[in-house]
Amino acid sequence: MLSFWASLFTWSSFPISAMDAIGGILSLNDQSIPEQIVRDIRLPRALLAATVGACFAAAGVVMQGLTQNPLASPAVLGVNAGAALGMAAVSTITPWFGLLGISMAAMIGGGVAWTLVMILGSAWRGGSDTGRLVLAGVAISALCAAFTKALVIMEEDQASAVLSWLAGSFANGNWETWSLFWPVALFALIGSQLLTPTLNLLQLGDDNAQNLGISLIWTKLAGSVLVLILVGSAISASGSIGFVGLLVPHMARILCGQDHRYFLPLSILMGSALVVLADTLSRGIIFPLETPAGAILALIGAPFFIYLVKKRAS
Amino acid sequence: MSLKSWPLLLVILSLLLVANLMFGAVSISFEGILNGFQADSEHYFTVYEYRFPRTLLAMMVGAMMALAGALVQGVIRNPLASPDVLGVSHGAGLAAVTYMTLLPTSDIAWLPAVALMGGFSAAFVLWWLCGNHSSAIKLAITGVALGALYASTVDFLMLVKPLEINNALLWLTGSLWGRGWNQFFILLPWLGLIPIALWLAKSLNLISLGDDSAISLGVNTNTLRLTSLAVAVGLTASCVAICGPIGFLGLIAPHLTRKLVGGQHQILLPCTMLVGAILLLFADLVARTIDPPIELSAGIMTAIIGAPYFLWLLFKNK
Amino acid sequence: MKRFFAFVSLLLSMSSSAVTVQDSQGTFTLDYTPQRIVVLEYSFVDALAIVGVSPIGIADDKDPDRIAPEIRELITPWESVGTRSQPSLEVISSLKPDLIIADYSRHQSVYKDLQKIAPTLILPSRRESYQGNLEAAAIIGKVLDKEDAMQARLAKHQEIMSGFAAQLPKGIEVQFGNAMEKYASLHPGKSYVGTLLQSLGFKTPPMLKNELSSVHTGLEQLLASNPEYLILGHYSSSDISNTWQKSPLWKVLKAVRNNHVYHIYNPSIWSRSRGVVAAEIVAGQLVELLTSR
Repeated sequence: MLSFWASLFTWSSFPISAMDAIGGILSLNDQSIPEQIVRDIRLPRALLAATVGACFAAAGVVMQGLTQNPLASPAVLGVNAGAALGMAAVSTITPWFGLLGISMAAMIGGGVAWTLVMILGSAWRGGSDTGRLVLAGVAISALCAAFTKALVIMEEDQASAVLSWLAGSFANGNWETWSLFWPVALFALIGSQLLTPTLNLLQLGDDNAQNLGISLIWTKLAGSVLVLILVGSAISASGSIGFVGLLVPHMARILCGQDHRYFLPLSILMGSALVVLADTLSRGIIFPLETPAGAILALIGAPFFIYLVKKRAS
Repeated sequence: MSLKSWPLLLVILSLLLVANLMFGAVSISFEGILNGFQADSEHYFTVYEYRFPRTLLAMMVGAMMALAGALVQGVIRNPLASPDVLGVSHGAGLAAVTYMTLLPTSDIAWLPAVALMGGFSAAFVLWWLCGNHSSAIKLAITGVALGALYASTVDFLMLVKPLEINNALLWLTGSLWGRGWNQFFILLPWLGLIPIALWLAKSLNLISLGDDSAISLGVNTNTLRLTSLAVAVGLTASCVAICGPIGFLGLIAPHLTRKLVGGQHQILLPCTMLVGAILLLFADLVARTIDPPIELSAGIMTAIIGAPYFLWLLFKNK
Repeated sequence: MKRFFAFVSLLLSMSSSAVTVQDSQGTFTLDYTPQRIVVLEYSFVDALAIVGVSPIGIADDKDPDRIAPEIRELITPWESVGTRSQPSLEVISSLKPDLIIADYSRHQSVYKDLQKIAPTLILPSRRESYQGNLEAAAIIGKVLDKEDAMQARLAKHQEIMSGFAAQLPKGIEVQFGNAMEKYASLHPGKSYVGTLLQSLGFKTPPMLKNELSSVHTGLEQLLASNPEYLILGHYSSSDISNTWQKSPLWKVLKAVRNNHVYHIYNPSIWSRSRGVVAAEIVAGQLVELLTSR
């Protein structure tokens, strides 16, 4: 909450006070420019960042639950890169599709990548080797990134649009994007909350879960679809944001233990806070210009990834 | 088997060499190429000044990266290891980009040395994180994670210092565009590492029997490991300094070669150099001819060829 | 008598054909009049076209439409040598040029290779100011052995530009930017368009006064810079300005309140072209936009 409030007024290229931030939300004064900025730029932007953070965090939790793999997350398992390739393909080859086409392309691209990674990493069955899955994800990511680069070089006209998708930034957050995005996100977030009891059972191992009357195929299918909706809609709203899905579930697990029913909502909250924070920082680093929030999250996230790998070994 | 592969590889290599000289944005006939080596020929620039050094560079870089991969896989007995998977390439890349953005006016002749330092630091960090005895997959994941960290730092540097983006970007894509005799002579001294690598071949065979047997046969395994890794890092970093991180080459070339000639390092090491050279020549040829006169980078092509192969290795290596 | 004239003209041509100029790498000397010229940036096409010289090869990003039609009709068809960032040296060489004109910012790294193909004149184009581009055009004029024609054309250019400037208001803060899909790319004070606008008597908003390369901005930074006039280029119909126009904050902008937002459809000549013809087109469009109200 605090980071959300701070993001409303800090590091503006326009003078805004902390009080204006509150005033803006309460619509006290229609004429004040700072309050209008808060209401029409900062608020949707912060909401968008928070929702995107929530989506990636929830996707991370679901993926880690499904695969029983602590390193699973949208960015690591190639879903981000696949979605980016899908978007790049649609916007370079058929640029007239518009926003809806791009979200669909992101979901399809992400879906194909995720399916490939799951098959190659043989993660449909439980207890598979966690490392293999991650390496499969990394290789798929590299492949998708190579194709994306090739598209960008060959269609230079669309390059800047594609690159701004890839960078992952909230600079363009507005009420319109938000209003298209939040119903989908809310639906998927509720869906993942409904899945949590099943995820708890999966922790006991696939066989035990099956004995307790869980249909493995349907659970994994439903979970995967949820992940795709979460990641696809989040990426099409803001571009590729890495490492939130990896980082946040671990932080949440440290705070409240293994029960998915509690730690999914906590992850969602923490994911929101983290992304809003990164977005706030993104405005401050080369002030008054902006750095994409995705780049900042990658800088925070990668060392944590290394720490996780190291911790698992010892 | 092993002896039969030699001529085959050489034939493929020379065919590709000729193809690389003939095709591109402008096609030149075979006679045109032969004449192209004379200074008065109309194709003198394209053949002698442009395609020839570029082709030689592709062969050298391909061979050196493949050799580095074979050395690393040999000493840590890890089929998934290679300088780029272990993050060494990206470490060298980060050092070079940092150098270029912070000191934009400096001489590019120093790049290999800077990249070398970056590569060594990356190798050291990896060793510090993983220790001496870690599983194949864990080592690979840590390397990949480190590589991601270096890559995101590079992205970040380029976003914060956008003015220098053109030089750095050109170099980072793993492309051979615009590389000529100048880069060739920068890279040439580093070929001196190849005989050292070949000299290590016999001991590498022994170490593949396991540390204990190697020690009982009189091999100092620690020295051998350090020397081989240092040579591999040197080979990789010097290549990265010339044409940026070219992915997957060091990983897949040794595997392909092992399938062809088996695991004897005395044969494997020279053959893997041939295979690496063939792969990079092929990648560069495709990259240049797919949409002329626009060029893709060879690094993109090696990723498109290499990533599926890596997946297959992963799938097979259960 | 006839012989004498022939001798004099021969002498003249000999004395004028050995040119030495300063380019971005130092001294450049050419002792003949170049006939087969390859240019690697759009501004150089402009400089050739105004003195009636057609390049045989252009780095046109494989799209002839990237050269403005007004410039295209001054020159004969050419061969594409690939992208400006990575021109194909093979194609350049196959055209057998006797002069290459390259951009200092983009082609420094291949300068030595280009020189092996043909004498290479390397001049600033990208990230260079309006004045800098005019100076480069003057140098090109000398090297093409068309110094008189170039000077005459540049003098005419000054005349045309001051004619346009006289019709435009003075001292007003104006900002040009391209509306892209997710942001606007503003051309700041030290950029080509920025310096061109300043030469016409406009000012650049203080926030971006000293920036050189184009800046990606959202509505918030635009509000902070708040120019008096806003000129927006539109490449497609579905860009960010549609979204902005729905926002109440859009109406807070000075330019919007006072009805001084101007739209350029197909802004290629504003954002990519640089040079004498391009500057005249830009200034002409500006006069038309500002005085048609």
